[in-house]
Amino acid sequence: MTTSLPMPKVGPMQAAAPKPMRLVLNWGRRYSLWVFNFGLACCAIEFIATSMARHDFIRLGVIPFAPGPRQADLMVVSGTVTDKMAPAVRRLYDQMPEPKYVISFGACSNSGGPYWDSYCVTKGVDQIIPVDVYVPGCPPRPEALLQGILKLQEKIAAEQVRGASLRERLGSAVGRSSVAAQVSRPLVQPPSDGLQDNAE
Amino acid sequence: MSRPDQHKHGLVPGLVKGMATTARTMTSHAHTQEYPDVKPELPPRSRGVIALLAENCTSCMLCARECPDWCIYIDSHKETIPAGPEGGRDRQQNVLDRFAIDFSLCMYCGICIEVCPFDALFWSPEFEYAETDIRDMLHEKDRLGEWMATVPPPPATDPGAQ
Repeated sequence: MTTSLPMPKVGPMQAAAPKPMRLVLNWGRRYSLWVFNFGLACCAIEFIATSMARHDFIRLGVIPFAPGPRQADLMVVSGTVTDKMAPAVRRLYDQMPEPKYVISFGACSNSGGPYWDSYCVTKGVDQIIPVDVYVPGCPPRPEALLQGILKLQEKIAAEQVRGASLRERLGSAVGRSSVAAQVSRPLVQPPSDGLQDNAE
Repeated sequence: MSRPDQHKHGLVPGLVKGMATTARTMTSHAHTQEYPDVKPELPPRSRGVIALLAENCTSCMLCARECPDWCIYIDSHKETIPAGPEGGRDRQQNVLDRFAIDFSLCMYCGICIEVCPFDALFWSPEFEYAETDIRDMLHEKDRLGEWMATVPPPPATDPGAQ
């Protein structure tokens, strides 16, 4: 049984909202970014360092950590995205409600980094999800993530969530409705028969 | 039934202990760094970004060939310098057309800086170059040259060394 999930919307009045209203909406969005950490490799350690007391990105309104993707506004992909992990990244991104933002943190998630020639590494997380801010480094220092967050907040402040700008940001992904089974099915189990039977 | 050391774990001693800790730390500052307002003090050797002194570059391609990521792009052409005094001959010289480092690929190993025989590449501690477009992460010659202003002076020599 499949149910098609509509693209979450922020309301039909939003597109026609006058400028002060948009200002307030964007102001609310940029300082309440519930973050969903996709820590895949060593860059995740720098992300954790940024969330701890010394750098403390909650000062900038980035709230660690959302209980799950359905409560998150910002996804920070930190680390090497492998082709094996890519479907999970994509699915959890699909589960996040609009408006959602992605920071690609570190060389590996920017473009594959040292593994750009590997047979099993995704050459940049922007091949599967739209990325808003790229933070360079291998790994970037915590202040670099803070600067990336500031850059994202500037971008949100200038943004207008309506059809045209959404299409520009998301490309072909806008209006794409996911089938409920795609975002809620359990992970595929390896076949229990076959190899094991052969081994016995 | 009661443990002999139970009096150490009662409500009141615990409260007193906690209040003592609070009193001890309440006057000291939090060690949070106020990054956007206060710039961090980075050590001069920190690896933020690679700066290029284009005048020193002879386009020998050593950095591009040693780069583990192959993230350095160099284009050059040859120009002939006419013979100067009587009896000389024409000399050929490389002229750098393009020098670009793709910082979305760079793994900040510093091999290009180590290997450069003419000191054209330098580490700079700058880190504030996050971009919203991945194509802007490719720093061309002029942008790499702008980083030269942020390169810290080289460390002082040892006392007694000449």
